[in-house]
Amino acid sequence: MNQALPIEGYLVVGALMFAIGAWGALIRRNAVVVFMCIELMINGVVLTLVAFGDYLPQAGGVGASYAVLVIAIAAAEVAVGLAIVLAVFRSRRTVNVDEANLMKW
Amino acid sequence: MGVVTAETFVGLIPELVTLGFLVLVLLLGVFNPQSPNQTAALAALGTVAVFASTVVLLASGFSGSFFGDGFVVDNFALYFKLVVSASAFFAVLAAARWAAGTGDAPEYLALILAVVLGSLLLVSMRDLFGIFLALELATIPSYALVAFDRSRRESSEGAMKYLVTGVIASAILLYGMVLIYGVAGSAALADVAEVFTGQLSPVAVLGLVLLVSGFAFKLSAVPFHFWTPDAYQGAPTSAAAFLSVAPKAATFAVLLRILLEGMPEAAATWTSVMVFLAIATMFVGNLFALRQRNVRRMLAYSSVAHSGYILAAFAALQGSAVPTAVEAVLIYSAAYAVMNLGAFLVIDLVGEDSTSYNGLIRNRPGIAVCMGIFMAALVGLPPLSGFWGKAWVIFAGAEAGTVALYVVIGAVVVNSVLSVPYYFGIVRNMFFEEPKEMTEEPKGTGAVTASVYVLAAATVLFGLFVGPLSALARASGLL
Repeated sequence: MNQALPIEGYLVVGALMFAIGAWGALIRRNAVVVFMCIELMINGVVLTLVAFGDYLPQAGGVGASYAVLVIAIAAAEVAVGLAIVLAVFRSRRTVNVDEANLMKW
Repeated sequence: MGVVTAETFVGLIPELVTLGFLVLVLLLGVFNPQSPNQTAALAALGTVAVFASTVVLLASGFSGSFFGDGFVVDNFALYFKLVVSASAFFAVLAAARWAAGTGDAPEYLALILAVVLGSLLLVSMRDLFGIFLALELATIPSYALVAFDRSRRESSEGAMKYLVTGVIASAILLYGMVLIYGVAGSAALADVAEVFTGQLSPVAVLGLVLLVSGFAFKLSAVPFHFWTPDAYQGAPTSAAAFLSVAPKAATFAVLLRILLEGMPEAAATWTSVMVFLAIATMFVGNLFALRQRNVRRMLAYSSVAHSGYILAAFAALQGSAVPTAVEAVLIYSAAYAVMNLGAFLVIDLVGEDSTSYNGLIRNRPGIAVCMGIFMAALVGLPPLSGFWGKAWVIFAGAEAGTVALYVVIGAVVVNSVLSVPYYFGIVRNMFFEEPKEMTEEPKGTGAVTASVYVLAAATVLFGLFVGPLSALARASGLL
């Protein structure tokens, strides 16, 4: 019969997604790509959350409903985020975060 | 457990009132777009109603926990709800005229009320994911508030920096919460407390570190403070005033609740983190504030420094010093709200360039004296409000009495001295410089001027409230 994957597998994949997303968010300069990387971070967290929710004996599957909550919040963040990126693009015709340098220190 | 009764609705009255007024403000904006002043009056009325209902709940001694212990109404939460709704009232007054000028007053005021709603929920949450939800409800509208000034390019730029760092911080905070949830098997703070005892597992420590880092971002603690000056400089003044006070006080409150209710046994671990955060935050905030010419940016760095002073109280949350440290956080939050709101409202009236304060004592003596009071209070001169906040932090540190805490107290004192030049630079400009040519009419409305006087009076008389406030803090139910 199918043997269920051990929880460590899910946790490692989730941590890797989080780390790759964080790395990308730090090194990429295009604001839209930065947002994609942040989404990757959040999805890594959601994967971890769902894995915990399924495997923990005392959780009773509540983790999945928390995951739905988190996905909705992430969607709201990105909606506001893209609106702000659009506002930046309108005022200076670029979404490069390096060129956002009106204010320093 | 989990059953919604009439009492649940009583406990939720402040939040429900906020939600109702939020919807009303938006509807009024749709059906009566020609009357921004009525909209602002409605929003101000809403914050007064929230304040009044919270006072009633507090006076009637109402307390209880609802939704399976996920939402709690105690004196601690009600205290912070008072701070949030009172600062929202002044922010709405300051916002009214500027927002009317943009033509989008209802949206702006509704965003402020949304931040209020998030902050009110935040201080009552007792469940990790509930805390995350309320924190995001307070944060997401504040990105939009910062970006609201479309006539200045700094606004959208500051908002983008705030947004990118804020969303990354949310992801880090959430990862910490999920790891803690995984270790504890439940997101309720009471269940988390059972796991955070004795030898902590590595996953629990990682979760704690990520959680504290995420909160450090939201509280603009060093090394996660970079968004603060840009966001506050770019934001409309009323938004900067509000965001530096209300959501920040609520975030401090919920961090206090997580640490004290969720992981009291691990105090040795997180107080050592707090010692480092507090010292670094105080020094970086003050040293960078010294070199600012823009008053708003200077106050942004000053708000970083003041976060450090409050974090110093967090470092003292150990052993017998816990009650005093909790009192210090409560008193400092109220004291900071009074003086910082006042200072930002003066910026709204006078301007953000430090030379526009030259000779203010001759042009507008009342405002100049009030600004002098706010600056002296931010330094911490007795008997103004900031002094009481710092005094309580020092009491708490002395009571904890470890070597690390004496170092923190020393840093608080050194930083208070360090902060004198930049606060009193403004005072010197106001009292000893020649006034600039008066080219423009004095800005601002009577309501804002009146609020400045009220806040200055509250700053001066804060010592009278300290006794009742600390009594309230002692009865907060957290100790």
